[in-house]
Amino acid sequence: MTVDGQPIPVEADLARMRRERQAKLQAQLGAQGLDGLVLLGTSAVAYATGAVVPGMDSGRAALLRPIALVVAGDDVPHLYTPYPEGAPADLPADHLHDPLYPDLDDGVPAATEAIAERFGAGAKLALDELPHPLARALAGYRLVSAAAAMGAAKLNKTADELACIRRAQRINEIAMTDVLPLLRPGVRQTDLSAVFLRRIFELGATSNGIDPIWQPMTATRAAGPWTTHGDIAFPTASTDRVLREDDVIWVDSGIHYEGYASDFGRTWLVGADPRPTDRQRRQYERWREVVEATLAICKPGVTALELGRAAIAANGGHKPWIEHFYLAHGVGTDSAEMPLIGTDLGEAFDEAMVLAPGMVLVLEPVIWDEGAAGYRSEDIYAITDDGWEALSDYPYDPFGVTP
Amino acid sequence: MIGTTALPEGGRVDFARLRAERRTRLAAAMAAHHLDALILGRPANIVYASGARQLWTAGARPFGPGAVVVRETGHVHLLSTWDDGVPAEIPHDDLFGLSWNPANLLAKLAALPGLKAARRVGTDSSSPGFGQFLAAIAPEAELVDAGPAIATARAVKTPDELACIETATALAEAALDALTEAVRPGVGERELVGVYLACLAGRGEPAPPTEGVVCATPRHGPVSLRQVPTDRLVGPDELVVLNPGARYAGYEGGVGRTWVAGPSEPTAAQRALAQRCRDALDAVLDQCRAGRTGADLRRAWEATGEPLPAAPLAHGLGLGMETPVVAAGCGDGAELVPGMVLAVQGWVQAEGVGGFLERHVAVIAEDGPRVLSRFGRGPVA
Repeated sequence: MTVDGQPIPVEADLARMRRERQAKLQAQLGAQGLDGLVLLGTSAVAYATGAVVPGMDSGRAALLRPIALVVAGDDVPHLYTPYPEGAPADLPADHLHDPLYPDLDDGVPAATEAIAERFGAGAKLALDELPHPLARALAGYRLVSAAAAMGAAKLNKTADELACIRRAQRINEIAMTDVLPLLRPGVRQTDLSAVFLRRIFELGATSNGIDPIWQPMTATRAAGPWTTHGDIAFPTASTDRVLREDDVIWVDSGIHYEGYASDFGRTWLVGADPRPTDRQRRQYERWREVVEATLAICKPGVTALELGRAAIAANGGHKPWIEHFYLAHGVGTDSAEMPLIGTDLGEAFDEAMVLAPGMVLVLEPVIWDEGAAGYRSEDIYAITDDGWEALSDYPYDPFGVTP
Repeated sequence: MIGTTALPEGGRVDFARLRAERRTRLAAAMAAHHLDALILGRPANIVYASGARQLWTAGARPFGPGAVVVRETGHVHLLSTWDDGVPAEIPHDDLFGLSWNPANLLAKLAALPGLKAARRVGTDSSSPGFGQFLAAIAPEAELVDAGPAIATARAVKTPDELACIETATALAEAALDALTEAVRPGVGERELVGVYLACLAGRGEPAPPTEGVVCATPRHGPVSLRQVPTDRLVGPDELVVLNPGARYAGYEGGVGRTWVAGPSEPTAAQRALAQRCRDALDAVLDQCRAGRTGADLRRAWEATGEPLPAAPLAHGLGLGMETPVVAAGCGDGAELVPGMVLAVQGWVQAEGVGGFLERHVAVIAEDGPRVLSRFGRGPVA
């Protein structure tokens, strides 16, 4: 199975991956008539530069952020970073710079100077964020959102990007094999997090992406948290809450490898020898039917709307996903990015989203069974030249085991 | 310190009072800065205004409305699809659910009582399209920088906030203790980061301020302070930076030390390096008192002859890292006021010896700093 004629390699060629991403960004600058990109968000900078940063809290990540300047016509990005050790080894020295502080008034002079060095007065620049101090530094430039350029560049992954996602997912999955045996009565959510976080770093993760979710699901919607839409609350934050025998646990986690996110989702049961009831087994079987019906038509040229309809048909005419989420989302340097399928963006949006090689789908149908909670798992698929290829590979214990 | 034993009589930190005092401070700052409404996107500011438990995710995300504070009504409207982790003073009517479609988000914000009439709306960041978005929900409003108002509210800590920072610092000390036990020749930097995170999670607070807390420094060749964990193994007798932070109820604490990996005793050169770091850092700490400025801190460091480190010499702590940031080209004008909390960090290096870091967390007082972090200075003394 290939993507644009290339098989997904076991090891990503990171230098080639950066070159190909840069070419896509340059193509977008041309297509959209932009003189450059000024990127501040962690995932956008990772995409544009390949620079690695330590995982950190959002406030610190904003004050001590790496910044990418992508200049039209220059096939290498400029990186301004507090973490030069994370810059790619092949980034030329004249493209690696001291950090800027665009979120601080004191940072305005240096930011003004850096941008003036790269762009002429009146240049048209696309940004993913515009902190107020940076806005003062950019007076005199034409500013637009970077969403269109970044979205178009990121949508279809190269074979190397897919290899990074697969590696991130593999690290996540292997770490989970050490967590599952701990799922005994009395374990705390944070005890599970402790083992998971330790293992992902031993296994080579660049950073964690999200505080792992281990949410016990109530039998009915009403027994769970109140919600604005009346549907299930998920995912809710983990605490030192004690888990109990027979709890139905929806697991959700994500880590990063070379900038790329994993997305692991499974339904687990708490107990020394957990066995799903017949009703729970039927939930899982229905979930499989939805996934199989979706994958059966999944290939380039099919629309997101068609995938959604196939999933709904396989679930007896009911939408098999949570009201505030989706049947599927993409994953890349963001843990949830385009394509989104089944959101409040609406049917016209889904109809216009046509699958193409290199797109990634995290399929996450939810089979809610009022009175007996429900089943939810996530798996990652890359759209290939003639179909799909799984990037995740993890069993469905204790549901997948035949009794 | 906060344990896990249930406290039916009420906690040692009064969280209801903590939240109420934050809201009072935010309202006063809004009034002083003539802000009719705040639209907040930064998670720490959303927590400050709402008190809601936020799911921790790594990294900085582009600006998007996560909470709206309306001065006229006093209401805090929160982006949350559920009430789990939302304090009781925010009624269900004041929650708005997640939207992927900007038109749906716009409709929800346009319906918030009192926002439409706002004349000055402050945000904690922005995006190139946000001005137009705001014009659709508050047609008369001028979009202004809420940074100064928020910084005013957050800078000085209440006693409950200080208790949280001190508890977080105690958790960081636990992580430092675990790290000093684990550090030895042949252990990997990644392994040490794993020890750190497992220690925090085991105490109920997995989300770290940063994962960049371990740096083995070489005894040969150039030395730099790295924060990205690598496959590098700690070499014999190397100086290893152990700089953990921790969070409690969203508040950050921390402590940093440098350990020698062993098996040998520290060399005279390593001890001399440690002394250089401590002398310079003590000079900075001595300036951590009311009335001094960021420039005083910087000059105190530079007066010792040490070059200013690339990493900030000092920064505010509260709901995570906050202003002021005292670094090269930054923070000279920041005034220190009583009740502000600073993380103060020193770093020196010498080729052929390694690098040495220490970090303290201190509350600014009239007569000097009250250092919250406690830990022995370790083997290199």
